[in-house]
Amino acid sequence: MNTHNLYFVAAMGTFVVVLISTAGYYYSRGLQSSQASWEELLAKLARIDRDNIAQVALDLVDESGRPRQSEDAASLEPWRLWRLIGGLEGLELLEANSDVLIEMAFYVQQWYPEAIVIAERLRLDAREIKWHVNRLKGAAQKGNLQVSFPFYAQHAVATYYLMTRRVLGLYEAGNFSMLAELQKAL
Amino acid sequence: MHLTRLDHLFWAAGFLGNLGLLFVLCYRRLAKKFPFFTAFAALGPTRSIILYLVLNYGTEHNYLYTYGWLAVIDTMLQLGVAYEISSRVFRPLDVWAQDVRSSFVWLLGLSVSVALGLSTLANSPVRTWMQAVTYKGDLFAAALMSELFIAMMALAFSARLRWRGHTAGIAKGLGSYSLVTVLIETGHSYFGGGRELPVFVILSHVRMAAYLCCVTYWIIDLCRDELPGRIMTQEMREKIFTLHAGLEYDLQNLRSRNKL
Repeated sequence: MNTHNLYFVAAMGTFVVVLISTAGYYYSRGLQSSQASWEELLAKLARIDRDNIAQVALDLVDESGRPRQSEDAASLEPWRLWRLIGGLEGLELLEANSDVLIEMAFYVQQWYPEAIVIAERLRLDAREIKWHVNRLKGAAQKGNLQVSFPFYAQHAVATYYLMTRRVLGLYEAGNFSMLAELQKAL
Repeated sequence: MHLTRLDHLFWAAGFLGNLGLLFVLCYRRLAKKFPFFTAFAALGPTRSIILYLVLNYGTEHNYLYTYGWLAVIDTMLQLGVAYEISSRVFRPLDVWAQDVRSSFVWLLGLSVSVALGLSTLANSPVRTWMQAVTYKGDLFAAALMSELFIAMMALAFSARLRWRGHTAGIAKGLGSYSLVTVLIETGHSYFGGGRELPVFVILSHVRMAAYLCCVTYWIIDLCRDELPGRIMTQEMREKIFTLHAGLEYDLQNLRSRNKL
């Protein structure tokens, strides 16, 4: 085997191994989430203090979900925000929960394809939360977390709060039997 | 060109398999939903007939020339199928999902570059330039298609987009077949071509067997119903769309404040 052929075979071997590993990883990940039952989905939701979430979100938006225009909007002190949210770990829990909320909307979409409008919106909201959390992780690595946390964290929490309202509204509109359990969990 | 009984058997099985797939696509009224995939399935039996006629009534040069052009059409149709799948997965509301556009373009560029790099690296022991172009072209197409299908699946799962139903079935089948083809084209590029080489014949049989498995999988998958959908009542629809519109307005406001 000459050197050129050796390089070619090595490159093709690496290429195939990388493709199979990538396909296997994502396929198994997708399989786990698509076959989850309602109980499994509910169990995946991390327990988060909903009063704290509401308090942080309602500092930015009003009861109906509209952004507060008054002067006392976004008035929570940074240290208090940190405590209510639970720091970066708390935000990571919200991030994980936002993925479960998408799954819950897709769960309804299995029977009602029209729920895709809500599911797609939730998917984009979850991406936004991930973006905020990634910004904060980047800031933490650079030692700027204290400066960035109040702004990004509060917006992430408000988005999550509205996501929970969307999912609850979806289950309420569909009059699904799981609504009571979902209300308890969220 | 001498063909063995096994060659004829594979040829006949492939021809019948493709006809079966076409029948399922038409009978289940999926041809309209997947026009490129239907054209790809239709190319199989058409190619078998054309190549059979050229083999019996034409020269070897005619055969290689026809084979090359049919391979180009086949690759174009596979790219069409890739577009069909991506437009079904990444356009959940009939517009491209805004958060995956840039990643998709980036992955497309990367896939083309890697496939080009690998096909450039191939150095097949060939006799004519036509053979060299055919082997490099086949390797490029196989590498590109396998990359594209796996990249689409990875992107769909990362972006939490739905990857299921007939669309996923078609993608899984074509992606797996492309991956097997990569291995076969690697063999062709390494050992060279020509039916006088036993390894070439074995690799061709492996490719046909893989394609038959793939066609069988598609027939079974497309015969199955996708998850049945119910229609929302007018009241449910109104409630959901009111909720959606209200929250959408609130989030837009929130985002505009975010940008300030």
